Amino acid sequence: MKKSTFLVFTMPSFIMMTLFIALPLLIVLIQSFQFNQDVLETIERENCDPFGCKTETITVPVLDENGNKIKNNIWVGFQNYKNILKFEQLSSVISNDGFEWSKIRSIDFYKALRFTLTFTFITLPFVIILGLILALCVNVLINRLKGPIIFITLLPFIITPVIGALSIKWLFIGDGILTLFLENILDKDIALFSQGWTIEILMLFYRVWHTIPFAFVIFYAGLQTVDKEKIEAAFVDGANRLQRLRFIIIPHIMPLIVFVALIHLMDSYRVFDEIVGFSASGFRISLQWMTYDFLRIDDSGTRSIGRASATSVLTMIGIIIILIPVLRRTFKEQKEKKL
Amino acid sequence: MKKILVLFAIFTSFFFLAGTNAKACELNNSVPVTSLSAGFDAWKVVTSAMEECGNFTPTLDQEYRDKLVASLESNPSQFTMAGVSASTNVSVLDAGVTRPLDDLVAKYGDSLQDNQKIVIDGKIMAIAMMTNAQHLFYREDILSDLGIDIPTTYDELLKAAKVIKDAGVVDYPLGGTFKSGWNLGEEFVNMYLGFADSFFDGNMPAVNNNDGYETLKMMKKLTEYMDPEYLTSDSTYVQQQFQQGKIALANLWASRAGAMDNAEESTVVGLVKFASAPKAKKNGKPASTLWWDGVVIAKNVTDEEAEAAFKLAMVGLDPANLGANPEAAPWLSNAFDPAPSNIGAILTAKSGAAPYPASAKMSTLHGVLGAAIGDYLTGAATAKATLEKIEADYITAATEKGLL
Amino acid sequence: MESKLFNLTTPLKIIVSITIITWCIIALFPLLWIVVMSIKLPVDSFASNPLKVIIGPSTKEQVGGLSFVNFIFLFLSIYLFYKLYQIRKILFDLINPILKFSLITFFILFILYITISFILFFLIQNNLSEFVNILFSNLEFLKIFSYPIIGFTPQHYLSVWVGNEFYKQFLNTMIVTGGVVTISLTVGTLAGYGLARSNSMIAFWLLIFALIFRALPHSVLVTGYLEPFINYGLYGKKIAVIVLLVAINQPFTIWMLRSFFMNIPQDLDEAAQIDGCNPFQAFWKVVMPLMWPGVITTGLFSFLLAYNDYLVAALLLDGQSQTMVPAIMQYFNMETKMTDLVESIAAAASITAPLFLLVMFFQKQIVSGLTQGAVKG
Repeated sequence: MKKSTFLVFTMPSFIMMTLFIALPLLIVLIQSFQFNQDVLETIERENCDPFGCKTETITVPVLDENGNKIKNNIWVGFQNYKNILKFEQLSSVISNDGFEWSKIRSIDFYKALRFTLTFTFITLPFVIILGLILALCVNVLINRLKGPIIFITLLPFIITPVIGALSIKWLFIGDGILTLFLENILDKDIALFSQGWTIEILMLFYRVWHTIPFAFVIFYAGLQTVDKEKIEAAFVDGANRLQRLRFIIIPHIMPLIVFVALIHLMDSYRVFDEIVGFSASGFRISLQWMTYDFLRIDDSGTRSIGRASATSVLTMIGIIIILIPVLRRTFKEQKEKKL
Repeated sequence: MKKILVLFAIFTSFFFLAGTNAKACELNNSVPVTSLSAGFDAWKVVTSAMEECGNFTPTLDQEYRDKLVASLESNPSQFTMAGVSASTNVSVLDAGVTRPLDDLVAKYGDSLQDNQKIVIDGKIMAIAMMTNAQHLFYREDILSDLGIDIPTTYDELLKAAKVIKDAGVVDYPLGGTFKSGWNLGEEFVNMYLGFADSFFDGNMPAVNNNDGYETLKMMKKLTEYMDPEYLTSDSTYVQQQFQQGKIALANLWASRAGAMDNAEESTVVGLVKFASAPKAKKNGKPASTLWWDGVVIAKNVTDEEAEAAFKLAMVGLDPANLGANPEAAPWLSNAFDPAPSNIGAILTAKSGAAPYPASAKMSTLHGVLGAAIGDYLTGAATAKATLEKIEADYITAATEKGLL
Repeated sequence: MESKLFNLTTPLKIIVSITIITWCIIALFPLLWIVVMSIKLPVDSFASNPLKVIIGPSTKEQVGGLSFVNFIFLFLSIYLFYKLYQIRKILFDLINPILKFSLITFFILFILYITISFILFFLIQNNLSEFVNILFSNLEFLKIFSYPIIGFTPQHYLSVWVGNEFYKQFLNTMIVTGGVVTISLTVGTLAGYGLARSNSMIAFWLLIFALIFRALPHSVLVTGYLEPFINYGLYGKKIAVIVLLVAINQPFTIWMLRSFFMNIPQDLDEAAQIDGCNPFQAFWKVVMPLMWPGVITTGLFSFLLAYNDYLVAALLLDGQSQTMVPAIMQYFNMETKMTDLVESIAAAASITAPLFLLVMFFQKQIVSGLTQGAVKG
């Protein structure tokens, strides 16, 4: 294909990605070194409400002639990063009392980082192994059953994540039926939403439940392309089922396992819907939730754009570090294809 | 035959759809008006009266404060009018997104009393419709069975809770709106004002002191008698706990009092009574804050829309409408005879509870409090560390905003 | 040979059946449960005894319920729908030659099936079975079949869709989703084709960057957009969300479509070009007709992304422009009564219905599409 033709074909996509992904990234990077402030003034204001009148000295934003807030971006260097990473507090914790996780955890960023990483890496093996087992099982079913079973299997994946999380939450919150069921079995009072680790387990469970179908459908598709002759040959050679799985099937779908792992790492690293769905923010927060929280307008009507941007940049660096091995592999692979 | 049935079915379903649009409002509103407000009963009473006039779409959202400013700031505004409280009114005022209502009040506001007009520097910026405060709800039957007097201080409340728990009447005697975020912050604010008078020294926070420490301690003691899932428990949850007879005492919003006697949902009709919020110190003031709720009209809408919105609001706040629903809230209205369910709010105000000290810095502190205290209550952080964190987080946020 | 090869030993058979049955229960139970809760009065929905939730004694007493007759009709309409569903291929072959564009045929069929299911469930199920029910209850010996077995009330769904005008949010979601899918696919197929047919370094770097972009948490992008969007009055505009979601979705779309295009032999478009087509004609007339499984699979993923999005819509849309998922979360925030809570559950259950149909319809395409395409790239 000629270069000019190629450019015509890819231009719309290229423009969209530049304008709506690359440019925002640049904006985020700039914002992370700034405070986005309202210009403020201190005034006296008389305020009469049902409880009486009083005159207060208060600090309020200056409004322009159209009555809009005047915004001011101040360069503050790494201040936003310092506010999030809190190195001083961190080093004092480490130097004074030895390494104490509970104190580090009181800094939101590390709390969020810890949860995000645990979440990402603990769910990964479950998703891959269970997805593979399921794919192998469905693959040997009789054809008439395959359709309905695949249909049921796909449901947890397509359901709106927030709603899915809620549907699981209702089974467990307060005296939800599964909580009562557990209480009956274990014969003690259980409150799953009263401490962090139980909520965390529920969130992990939810994510595995939600992602297994994706892994399943990819693996199942891969199993359809396994070379039948190879398997037959192995069968003739006397390889048992497990050996055939290990030496023929798994190597065949290895690229798919990598693919699922890659997508899963990317998706679970941005864990967010679970925190909303399980109302878990009092106990567990994730990096993306932190950004979201900074972006929300607080009672005083402002957003913490600076800290949101700094968290975003840190989040971004995190995912790139995690993906380096995969990126390098893809890089090489694609390069070889080209040369 | 089948065809007839199908036709019949279509006909009946249309009939049903049409049936829901019955009108009972004299004003025939032709301008589309939208509103954003909290969702508790009082707002339902007001907005449903307004809906009957047609062309009115309310959005009721208990977390409305998350988007209030942003949605009014956009041009044209996402909502014609909004329901605000004492604190959110400050944020819309500061952002300059609401309009003065003097003209409209002069034209259509005959039914309003003076204490309903929120006057800022001589201009009417909002119309208050009700007051609100967190005060004591108690199960009269349980207390009198066990011979407990109505608690007037938090120490008495804790004692009462212990007696109730030991007697095994309910598993968790206390309820509390301890959901992390705004609710938890409000609990701290209430309790702190029972111990001290001011949160600030200039623009700097002044909660990292003995009063702050006492406040945290007291909150933790209360949680020991609560359902362990208290960090997810908001007003609605506490209300339901009461209705299902699971708790005996709680400091809950006056606007929830009416629901206790709602026969459709409550299993404890007539058994829940109300009193002033308990005091934190024996001779102090009640550990509670006084609030008002009311309506504002967006600046970024046409004058025509603003006028329609105001006329609708006057239908919603019509003394006859409010007077017909006395249990929904302590209304500010001359046609209003306090219902038994309003007594708690009145007593709390009479015993000298402070109005909520609404301001930009207070909102900032409130947010910080709501995020930080959870770790202390669950035991993940000490009281000292929590107060330090509150101070540090406030300074970070306030510096970023330019308050410091 | 093959059958012998795949014959399972008995223990393996048992293991496979147990695994699949367990999984199906785990996959279905939470979803079924919200449906069960949503058709009961609050007293029953939140009863601590699961049997009470399923049977709903108070609901049965106060509102009524489904009788044996209703169940017969329910199964009948499900069966009817299933039969119609089975002949979808025949229908497709019938309509397609007229329209000559398989994507549109597919779309029309999909709409047709949605309408049919509505008619089946709302008219036949509701009214016809009610009619028979009344008929039976007047006949002495058949009376027993018209007694309600399980409590049922549609009131929560009615108050969500009619009372709260949820269809407005539904329309918003449809506009956003439709916009995202169309623009994503248009822009994405062009780029995917270009990338599949090019060996240049630009193509290589574009792919690598797309991969990195795919990994970015969405909040990062929203952080960058939010200020400019608000300043330029795009807050609350659906187009803002559409554009944003298209951009977020673009990396995945181009990777996926590229691998589908790679499976289509390059000789084909070269031959077309020798025959006098320009590159665009070759793309449109020769390659695209072979691409539709790929387009459908990719479109489905775009659909899911847009339909299920909470974060972007929650931060950028409001009031009249709100989509369904944030609206439902807001329902939960407005609940001050138990009834409100059940209504929210009903709303949650009803937004899953279109997804349900979608998978039913496209399941084969997903699997075959993935088998053919994406999985090899």
